[in-house]
Amino acid sequence: MTEKPDSYEVAVERLEQIIDRLDSGQAGLRETLDLCREGRDLVAYCSAELDAVGEGLKELKLDELAEKLDASATPGAS
Amino acid sequence: MGKALAPDRVSLPGPFAVGRYARKLEEEMRRRARVSLIGEVTGLSRSKAQAYFELRDAEGAVPCTIWLNDLEKLDLPEGGLRDGTEVVIAGGPDYYRGGAHASPSFSFRATHIRLAGEGDLLARLEALRKQLKAEGLFELQKQLARPLLPKAIGVVTAESGAARRDLLAGLERRGWRGTIVWAFAPVQDRHAAPRIAAAIQGLAAQPRVEAIVVSRGGGSLADLWAFCDETLCRTVAMLRVPVVSAVGHERDSTLIDDVAAVACSTPTHAAEAAVPLDCVAARGDLERSLASLQRAAGGAVRARTPHLVALARGPARALRREQLALNQKTREIRAASERGVAERLGFQRRLATVVLERARRRAAGAEMDRRRTALHRAEVALRAHEPERTLERGYALVEDRAGEPVIGAAGAVAAERVKLRFADGSVGATIEEQE
Repeated sequence: MTEKPDSYEVAVERLEQIIDRLDSGQAGLRETLDLCREGRDLVAYCSAELDAVGEGLKELKLDELAEKLDASATPGAS
Repeated sequence: MGKALAPDRVSLPGPFAVGRYARKLEEEMRRRARVSLIGEVTGLSRSKAQAYFELRDAEGAVPCTIWLNDLEKLDLPEGGLRDGTEVVIAGGPDYYRGGAHASPSFSFRATHIRLAGEGDLLARLEALRKQLKAEGLFELQKQLARPLLPKAIGVVTAESGAARRDLLAGLERRGWRGTIVWAFAPVQDRHAAPRIAAAIQGLAAQPRVEAIVVSRGGGSLADLWAFCDETLCRTVAMLRVPVVSAVGHERDSTLIDDVAAVACSTPTHAAEAAVPLDCVAARGDLERSLASLQRAAGGAVRARTPHLVALARGPARALRREQLALNQKTREIRAASERGVAERLGFQRRLATVVLERARRRAAGAEMDRRRTALHRAEVALRAHEPERTLERGYALVEDRAGEPVIGAAGAVAAERVKLRFADGSVGATIEEQE
């Protein structure tokens, strides 16, 4: 696996570069196979990112988060 | 620090009697120009004769009073004058010098009050807009990177309202089902602006929140006035988390729209701005990308296969060609070689013959000489041993009838008849007896 991208947009940008390069027909066999491997890793990363925001909407309330934060910050609070 | 001067040592006019000064101050104030002011009513209270309030905006406030008599003459709607109301008041500064039992006070004595209209609000809004723009506050949010696919977004809106529902519908259409942190706040009354600002700051403090949506349905500019609050807008401008504003509709342009990273006309659009990636379309794009990659990988190999095959066949073909050429050469060489060998052999033979002949001749010559010499020697030796030589010296050779030499006496007896050969001829003799 190549280095994990910083974000979805970085991954997609790189993926587009890879596909452009492959489409250009300029890449040699070794480069083509390397780019395809990197591209598949990027697709896998992007799919995982989409999965992370596709499983189910989770709704939180800021007030409750703030209360929890306060509770955890209070000495002696469990 | 210098020593404070005693009052009587200060070279100023006076001292005057304070009551007289207060009266003069009162006169002075009341002579000042009458003006109209615009601001928000806060701290409204009433006594028997007057109403008291502060008129304030983000920069400051003025204590105001109005005689109830004057207030009742005004055509204000029932409950129109209340805290949080934007009003335009007309009047001038006043100073009440106090009395035996009343404290002195300064106020802006209003004689007329009207609720601020769109025109008044727009004028204020434009002045504020100009100021914030000049300070560069419109650009700060727009320079922030907005994540294409935030995992968590914060939303400030009214707890009950169409905005919340529309936003959820927009996110659902996007195929986005991440985490929403709701920060519910009033979106209209005078407490709205600080509560909204606090909610935005609270959301921005959540490490997971990557974008914040501030949403409210449409309304008049007065309804949306909280979103033109200077403090709120400055708070948004300085935030490090991108804010998407969806306040009112397109025709209503609030100040928060100007300072936000993105301004949207509806909550649905705000959903799209907060989650720029359409997750449904993105999945399709990824599948297409994957197909492209597979095609490229397969194609790259397939495209090169014939060439590779040709290349792979190349050596075999070349070898075969070389083999054939080699065989041909071998045959040629062999033929040539055989020819060459034969020729060479012939030549060598001829050469050998010549050489041998020469050698033979040379050898023959030498041999002949040698032989001649030997022969001569032999001849000499032989001649020394020839019976004739001996005979010449007076000896005779006895031969039998067959001409064979008779060596001894017994032989002679046996032969009976012998021939005596002398150097000059032979004579017959008969052996009589052995003596």
